[in-house]
Amino acid sequence: MAYILQQLLTKSAERFPEKTAVWARGRSVTYRELNERSNQLAHLLHERGIRKGDRIGIYFPKCVESVIAMLGIVKAGAVYVPLDPQAPAERIGYIIGNCGCRALITREEKRRGLDEATRESLEFCVLIDETPKSSNGSEVLPWTILSEFPASDAPKVVLTETDLAYILYTSGSTGRPKGVMLTHQNALTFIEWCAETFKISSEDRLSNHAPLHFDLSVFDVYNTLEAGATVYLITEDLALFPAKLASFIEAQGITVWYSVPSALTLLLLHANLNAEKLAKLRLILFAGEVFPMKYLRQLANLLPHIELQNLYGPTETNVCTYYRVERDRLPSMDKLPIGIACENTEVFAVNDQDEIVTEPSGIGELYVRGPSVTFGYWADPEKTAKMVVPNRFQRNFEEKMYRTGDLVQLAEDGNYYFLGRRDSMIKSRGYRIELGEIESALLSYESVKEAVAIAIPDDIVSNRIIAVIAPHDGMDIKPADLQQHCGTRIPKYMIPEMIEFRTTLPKTSTGKVDRVQLTQESVRAAQQAAAEPVSQ
Amino acid sequence: MSTVNQTPATQSPALKDQIREFIMENLAHAKGITSFTDDENLMESGVVDSLGIFRIVSFLEEELHVRISDEEINAETLQSVNSIEKLVLSKKK
Repeated sequence: MAYILQQLLTKSAERFPEKTAVWARGRSVTYRELNERSNQLAHLLHERGIRKGDRIGIYFPKCVESVIAMLGIVKAGAVYVPLDPQAPAERIGYIIGNCGCRALITREEKRRGLDEATRESLEFCVLIDETPKSSNGSEVLPWTILSEFPASDAPKVVLTETDLAYILYTSGSTGRPKGVMLTHQNALTFIEWCAETFKISSEDRLSNHAPLHFDLSVFDVYNTLEAGATVYLITEDLALFPAKLASFIEAQGITVWYSVPSALTLLLLHANLNAEKLAKLRLILFAGEVFPMKYLRQLANLLPHIELQNLYGPTETNVCTYYRVERDRLPSMDKLPIGIACENTEVFAVNDQDEIVTEPSGIGELYVRGPSVTFGYWADPEKTAKMVVPNRFQRNFEEKMYRTGDLVQLAEDGNYYFLGRRDSMIKSRGYRIELGEIESALLSYESVKEAVAIAIPDDIVSNRIIAVIAPHDGMDIKPADLQQHCGTRIPKYMIPEMIEFRTTLPKTSTGKVDRVQLTQESVRAAQQAAAEPVSQ
Repeated sequence: MSTVNQTPATQSPALKDQIREFIMENLAHAKGITSFTDDENLMESGVVDSLGIFRIVSFLEEELHVRISDEEINAETLQSVNSIEKLVLSKKK
């Protein structure tokens, strides 16, 4: 039994040394190569003084080296932090500082894009591409240096399943991203459940559509390694073009697909999908946002041979519930359930009277307990204490559970249904977005007095984001300037696509900005705009 | 710099301006980007994402009245202002 992630690789490397483990951008590595390269990287890190629990960032567009880096870092006993290569350098700098990354695996171009203070805070960088002549800042090491280190095994480090494996940063309501700490056990609980439930075998070819800083990728990478299968990393340029992506799925003989629903909707609408072309695809998993029923029905009809599974779970629990789509029920369903708890995980809804919901149609906030639940947020005991709370429903021993902030309803058949959020977190294209983080970016612009970010429901991407702004008296703000300013603080998918200006924002009786009224007005305006015929 | 194969038909400032303006106002600004060149790869610079592509396609179909097939939606045709212009011109011949 594997109790740390790297054992998945070492076992498969023994069984299938010459089989392709990872493919990306026309290049691939076998299990033997992946195992040896990650051993070498682990030795390099170890020699440079990296020890158990140290954080190392992975900062480059995904390619085969991404997986080598992930495994090399955990083999050194360290914790990897996947950094969004498309996020503004300022945000990346914050994350590197927040979790105290000692080193980065990166490309020279990305390293150069970081601010000086961040570069200097790093002890060293391993570059997967080239070595610059002058390193200005931290020491830089070329990837070719790996060949000088032992390949046959990893350095000896004592690890248990409760050691941290990686930290995933998600949007934070107070204006800064927060780092969800995940242990080997958190990840393996999910991976082992998937392996058994979805019968992933060495014959499978998995796709990896999600970015590596997004928890969907945990399944793609580690269930591949667990089974001795092959994972095909789908790069951004390929993901953009549905017709090309569909040809790719067909040509590579992908058997298992996992993505956010919006990626599937775009494939459905623009790729001429048919069952014949995707004959090898046997399983589609989706998660991250609600799949609009009309598109799910179309997909289910178009691809009758494919098993469809709706997975649900915040990064803090990876996946905690699932629902296997029953095609015969689809026509009469107006909403897709998030389903029932995965094995080795318990979920329950807690109502306003602080009781566990047991009766059908009861509504409450979803709580999760079990080995998949995070210890909390890196260096943020306050937020951790709010979300990862003592289990007050049993007092025999000390135990934590995670409150998801999601409101759910229990149905007659035992399935849970997602109703909405308790706070102002929203989803867009599967990304978790705290409206507060956007507002704090807007408010950091000098001329902005008040700002509210609003989510407008959208068929394809779940939500689009707009902002309503009241400038300081006499200030004139150009929307494009404000959007540009946001682009230096938050990722592109969080920037409001439209900005409305008012002299003042409506207030509630307690003097707070009236979000509810603003949201209603904006949603109504958006619906009206959508209903208008296209101008000729 | 090569000017081989450049036909006079690729030089139509009005059309290019229309394309550039649409992308600037509808896509680039919403990504916090305020400038790009006509040759710039808009996908690499993050101006255009998966939905942006289909907004460009709708713009070409509804405002410029050219029909674009799913197969024509690719990294070559929609890469830059110049390549989009070329696609439109090839349709209007």
